[in-house]
Amino acid sequence: MSSLFVVVDAANKGFFGKLTRSRVPGAIPFGGKYRLIDFTLSNCKNSHVTNVGIFPYGYYRSLSDHIGSGDRWDLNRRKDGVFILPPKNLILTIEDSLSFRRMYEHLEYFKRSSQEYVLVTPANLVWNIDYQVLLHQHLITGADLTEVLSAEQKRIRTFILAKKLLLDYILNADTIPYRNLTDCFDYAPTIKKETYLFDAECRLVETSFDLYQANMALLNPLTRMELFKKERPIYSKETMSAAARYGKEASIDNSLIASGAVVEGRVVHSIIGRKVRIEAGAKVANSVLMNQCVVEKDASVSYAILDKETSVASSSRVEGDLNQLFVSEKKQIVVGQENLKVLQITAECHPFVKVGGLADVVASLSDNFTRLGVEAFVMMPLYRMIEDKYKAYLENKAEQIIDYGGEKFKVTLHYVLDQNVNYYFIEAYDFFDRPKIYGYEDDGDRFAFFAKAAVAFLDIFEALPDIIHIHDWHLGLIPLLLKADSRYEDIQTLITIHNIEYQGIHSADILKKLGLNVPFQTQKEINFLALGMTHATKLSTVSETYREELKFEYYSKNLVDIINRRDRDFYGILNGISDEIGPNRDLTIARKYNLMNVFSAKKENKANLQKRMALSIGNDYFLMGMVSRIVEQKGFELLIPALEELLQDPSNQFVLLGTGEEHFKERLERLKERFPDQVALNLEYNATEPSYIYAGADVFLMPSRYEPCGTSQMIALKYGTIPIVRQTGGLNDTIEAFDPITKRGNGFKFYNYDERDLLFQVRHAKQLYLTDRSSWQQLIINAMNSHFWEKDCALAYVSLYRQMLAKPLQQEGTR
Amino acid sequence: MSKLMVAMILVGGKGSRLREITQDTAKPAVAFGGKYRLIDFTLSNLVSSQIDAIGLITQYEPYELMAYIGSGASWDLDVVDGGIRFLTPYSSANDQVIWQKGTAHAVKQYFRFVKDIGAEYVLILSGDQLYKMNYQAMLKHHLETHAEITIAATKVPLKDANRYGILDVSATGELVAFNEKPLAPISNLASMGLYLFNTSVLEGLLEDGSTEETVDFGENIIPKAIREQKRIQVYLHNDYWMDVGTVESLFQANMDLIDNPDFLNLNQSRNMPVYSRSLNLPPHLVEGGVVTDSIIADGSIIRGMVHHSVIGYECLIDQESVLENVVLLPGVIIRSGVRLKNAIVNKQTIIPKDFVSETEQVRLFSGEHFREEAKTIV
Repeated sequence: MSSLFVVVDAANKGFFGKLTRSRVPGAIPFGGKYRLIDFTLSNCKNSHVTNVGIFPYGYYRSLSDHIGSGDRWDLNRRKDGVFILPPKNLILTIEDSLSFRRMYEHLEYFKRSSQEYVLVTPANLVWNIDYQVLLHQHLITGADLTEVLSAEQKRIRTFILAKKLLLDYILNADTIPYRNLTDCFDYAPTIKKETYLFDAECRLVETSFDLYQANMALLNPLTRMELFKKERPIYSKETMSAAARYGKEASIDNSLIASGAVVEGRVVHSIIGRKVRIEAGAKVANSVLMNQCVVEKDASVSYAILDKETSVASSSRVEGDLNQLFVSEKKQIVVGQENLKVLQITAECHPFVKVGGLADVVASLSDNFTRLGVEAFVMMPLYRMIEDKYKAYLENKAEQIIDYGGEKFKVTLHYVLDQNVNYYFIEAYDFFDRPKIYGYEDDGDRFAFFAKAAVAFLDIFEALPDIIHIHDWHLGLIPLLLKADSRYEDIQTLITIHNIEYQGIHSADILKKLGLNVPFQTQKEINFLALGMTHATKLSTVSETYREELKFEYYSKNLVDIINRRDRDFYGILNGISDEIGPNRDLTIARKYNLMNVFSAKKENKANLQKRMALSIGNDYFLMGMVSRIVEQKGFELLIPALEELLQDPSNQFVLLGTGEEHFKERLERLKERFPDQVALNLEYNATEPSYIYAGADVFLMPSRYEPCGTSQMIALKYGTIPIVRQTGGLNDTIEAFDPITKRGNGFKFYNYDERDLLFQVRHAKQLYLTDRSSWQQLIINAMNSHFWEKDCALAYVSLYRQMLAKPLQQEGTR
Repeated sequence: MSKLMVAMILVGGKGSRLREITQDTAKPAVAFGGKYRLIDFTLSNLVSSQIDAIGLITQYEPYELMAYIGSGASWDLDVVDGGIRFLTPYSSANDQVIWQKGTAHAVKQYFRFVKDIGAEYVLILSGDQLYKMNYQAMLKHHLETHAEITIAATKVPLKDANRYGILDVSATGELVAFNEKPLAPISNLASMGLYLFNTSVLEGLLEDGSTEETVDFGENIIPKAIREQKRIQVYLHNDYWMDVGTVESLFQANMDLIDNPDFLNLNQSRNMPVYSRSLNLPPHLVEGGVVTDSIIADGSIIRGMVHHSVIGYECLIDQESVLENVVLLPGVIIRSGVRLKNAIVNKQTIIPKDFVSETEQVRLFSGEHFREEAKTIV
């Protein structure tokens, strides 16, 4: 009867943080006893669909375990059934939607499917619907492509079309300008498109907050009625557990409790999964607890999502809030919020010394740690410029003689307490009393020596730090040095990779000089970063997407093996910007502004920028701004040819501030000569005040080839200047593509490192700017409302530290 | 492939002492502990004992039981070379009876099942008892003692002994005498109605040609075996065991479940888990109600007060109702203002608004009562 088959899009990773570390979103537990994909699969069964193809990305073990043979949904058919169709490249997770190219990898599946129509729908959509109704609707409207929207007119990535048409797109994936059905619906001009509004409970769950809300919605009787229907039940994998048990002192209100749960304590307004144990005196409020969590006695949990098998130790408190839910990792053991001591050992830290962004990150972390009740310590070398400037403030703490390569060196430890952060400086005349920070032939020796001295001075701490956090390659030897001293075996180490290109490759003699004996070290050279990554307790980098990208040799080069080996211990935590940055209190721009007056102020700032840079003045010009180092990484190979084409249109303008490589500068200067009224460049070394560009431009370009995190796009967002970025690293994590239908999103992004894709997005943005004022204004509001604060970043690190300190019940693997 | 052991589950007769609860269903399909059926325990024991060739002999109201068990997939019994077979009564050309006369007769009628599997040992079980036992341990005992027949036994309170088959055992564990429901029991060692036979021995005992009727295991087969001086061993089961034969014992077993958090280790997934068929119901919801010391199954909604009670799946307890020491079988609706104490409510029963029953004796409420009462009220 059914002429419909279903393609399940499980290729989207969403924004779930820890919850998707080892599973795809479709496999996330939901509603006490379900997994998200149960709704899609049950809808298939209840709509008599017998042919289902699931396209997951890499981590689909959990999904495939859950689905099994598909028998729970009657999909263990002789003919057809359920097919899990993995990507050719298992670790690619960048796609945000199932692409035609991805479908092409399983072309045979589409060719063999005998049904005439196909429904494409995600695995993380919570609804109860008869797909045949959609097909019927599609047929009577005579549409080529029907998109289904939720009652709130949100896009739910659900489409219905003839298999023939889909096959057409798949077979031509390489030549058509559309990546997926969303693109087709938005841009394909020749087909007949219709939408269908589904006016009952329907939620696309894409973030951990969506997940929280979707769970809480189950406490609403109407929602429950619309999801759990007698005539169309939701089926799930069969499990084994007794009915829920309540103790004598149990107290419970407005909560959903799955079977196998044992409740002895208090539960309010929560969703309690299978086999969860809540002991006497414990309290759980406004939270979602997945299967087999344990809340020990007298512990309390509020506004949290606890992943499977999380244990909250007795008397500990887990407290999130609606803006920042506490999210645990699977099997995490949450212990009390007792004092945490974190020592960052670093080569640079603002305000004492700054070469790159690292200095700001270290400073902002320490600063925010103290606000979060974490004791913050920073240790760095006493460079000459620090000594010159701060000598008067420093207190002499200790002295030692350090042996390095048979020579003895005197080192002194200086100390200053500034805004509750404890700073330590190590003075060593032979290594650091020099005019520059980096760039000496003996950099390897200098930082190896510093690492040794830093570890030697740990004995000044009455109570040792719980965590030592190191950054980049410079301190890569610290974990090894700590391991060599049994006094320090309880100290957990985290190494953060800010940019994997800098690895610190130096002579292997350094190990000998340090007195370290490393087995199997036969090469002549050692790699500081690689050693750090191998021996640290955990690893992190500065965005979730960069973390994913590093699994590819293209990004991580020689370290790809280590990255993949340590994947389980590798985290992505996005940097933030100070909440003091923004147009509201910026005195260097023509007119300060905030959300209230942005539209008029932005016009004024734009005119000011045009005037200042001697461009034609007017709001009808489309002004593209850029503040960037002028190097290959930032995408100038794409940008320059794209500009050559864009500037043919006299209504386009381009402003750039930055310094960098000569050959790019020359090409840019030539552009300026050709289009003097449209191009403005500020390539001076003293160009340090970029605010007028952030405030005056319409869009902000960042077509980077790679970008571990990037902060310029975060600043541009604050100024309501719309980023157009390549979908890489931190750019992908901060920019959500604007969707003209739902008016969600804060910028534009393209995936392929290709100038045509950049051009397409710029033109798309410009068209919106010129023809759809209300969308453009909404986009500005969305941008200004996006925030990536330093304190959220610090909070994420603190949560990772606590996780590192929790003693696992049973050791997994080697570490 | 032949299997070492085959199990025959005897579903038995009407179970009239469970009154309306078994009016339209076989005893093994009676609900227990919110989400279980009695048969779950026997089937799970079998699966944990790696026995996957099972014949289920059904005579009385088999529909609900058959529908519940389905293919047996919930117990991993949907295997290619065995699994679960429903053995229903039939008549054939050389068999004059139209109906199975008793449990042993039913086994005899289906002895071909045992032969086809090629099992050396036959386990005879009943499907309405609550206990956990590893039948492999029983087989080990059987082999070690070179028995031809092993009877599982458990100790019961002496005052109840007259309800059971009472065993008299020698010092070496050998069965000396068997007294079915004796008026003056000589010991409290009761037969659990669970027997392990060497296939050839059972075949011999069931064989026609003797003048005796071979109808029932307790009444005919075992006495016959004693007379024929078969080597019969008794295997003692020391853990919890409950024969759910009466309304009172069904109620008591549910109360035992509440009072003992480790009741048959139902909350553990390791070590002989008890499987049951999933019902595709959402988790239960407590909406402004009070629940203490109770067991609640999926799909229920609790708005009233529940103390020391077991609530089956898909029940609704409305506001201002108070339940204490109550067992609700599945699908019960308790309207608002109801007060119940010491009661067991049959499945799908609707208790009308403001109904009160607070007795010391356990009372059974069934749909029928209220349909009549509703009429009289109208």
